[in-house]
Amino acid sequence: MLKNILGKSRQVWTPLARGLSKTSTQSNVAAESVVTASTTKPATLILPQDYAECAPLNRNATRQAWIENTDAVAERKVGLIELHPDVFAAQPRVDVIQENVEWQRKYRYVSMANTKTRAEVRGGGRKPWPQKGMGRARHGSIRSPLFKGGGVVHGPRSPTTHFYMLPFYKRVMGLTSTLSVKLAQDDLHIIENVDIPTKDAQFIKDIIAERNWGLSVLIVDKDFMFPENICYATDELGYVNLMPAFGLNVYSMLKHDTLVLTVDAVKHLEQRLLYQLHRNDATSKGGKFKLDQV
Amino acid sequence: MAASTKLLFGSGLCHRLGQLTRSLHTQPARLSSFRSSKEVQSLEQYPEVEPVESAAAWKFVERLLPPQTVPRPVAKTDYPSGWQPQKSDGSESGYFVARTKNHMVPVYLHTRFRGQRRITVVRRVQGDIWALEKDLRAVVEQARNGKLCATRVNELSGQIHIHGDYVDVLREHLKAKGF
Repeated sequence: MLKNILGKSRQVWTPLARGLSKTSTQSNVAAESVVTASTTKPATLILPQDYAECAPLNRNATRQAWIENTDAVAERKVGLIELHPDVFAAQPRVDVIQENVEWQRKYRYVSMANTKTRAEVRGGGRKPWPQKGMGRARHGSIRSPLFKGGGVVHGPRSPTTHFYMLPFYKRVMGLTSTLSVKLAQDDLHIIENVDIPTKDAQFIKDIIAERNWGLSVLIVDKDFMFPENICYATDELGYVNLMPAFGLNVYSMLKHDTLVLTVDAVKHLEQRLLYQLHRNDATSKGGKFKLDQV
Repeated sequence: MAASTKLLFGSGLCHRLGQLTRSLHTQPARLSSFRSSKEVQSLEQYPEVEPVESAAAWKFVERLLPPQTVPRPVAKTDYPSGWQPQKSDGSESGYFVARTKNHMVPVYLHTRFRGQRRITVVRRVQGDIWALEKDLRAVVEQARNGKLCATRVNELSGQIHIHGDYVDVLREHLKAKGF
């Protein structure tokens, strides 16, 4: 499989495959295999993990998960999928998860708290009373920080950005840890696809109630174009959200009660995260974050 | 005569240089910013490329490309470097030390205070980390001729910190145990 994957990724280097991205070729293959498997044997969709490419660094046992149907409200086990232990059975680093959440809250936060200095407060240009002869303390301005109604020293100045980048491999570890935690807590469900039969939101509500998916659900597919039915069905429901796999992040996974991944999304996430964990040029992802970098 | 040719030549050079600088300044430099790089044009604007038809020839290009991920080590009976593959899966000892993605034993030296404090760090420990810490401490104390050694265990991140530079000792010990 290593040769297979490398061969596929190298196709990208050929001018022939110029318009295709690596991930799209990758997932087409996965989708095809799923489709063929489901057409020939609709009852059993067994997707074993192939360790030929990335042998698990981790000695945790392979995780297995049921693949559930989406064509009806009643739950049916469509198949079984083996999940890579380095992605779905990683050490639950709660400290790294917390760092990821903090980073996601902070990097987009701009504080607008502002105070005026003695120069910005209106007035205060003239000396309030003469330096000597009044028996009072010497002062040069009524807007001095010593005065009531005066300027503020070292107060907050807006806009204050809190942008920073978490180290790349902490972000990767945040994803693997959170996926592992979600799976261990039985908050991760895998569905065969997102093709639901109706545009009715009640269908989604029924599925959530029937399968105990909890208060909020995040549905992740590999493709960023979701089918029409599920878009209509979840549009009105604020607690059911759709997300493409490239947008998956720690904060959203924790914000939603249940994470629902399609088989394609699982394969894609495994492929991308294992690539990041095994890539040769990992040091290129270290170093300082530069705003100009592509 | 000579002076005039020199002048002509000089003016020609100046002209060329002017052209060059103009082309440099009118063409936005393709730097790494999205502001300065040109937008993607239609495919006709780019030079024609010839698709590689024969897969047999492509393999010669392929072998020049560096591998994207770390390859698996080639199985041999003996490695001249002293490296050896991981043999144990930790089932008999109760703990496991995972190799890194480069197939190395994760034992490192952290130096602080200008080299005055040296800490040996064993990472990627899974399973019974306290049993491993006990074993490693025995090894280090033997290397210190029976003097006690200070250790610290971080169970959450699977790390053991050992006071002093015992990287080689511990790496050899872990390799001997099959990790």
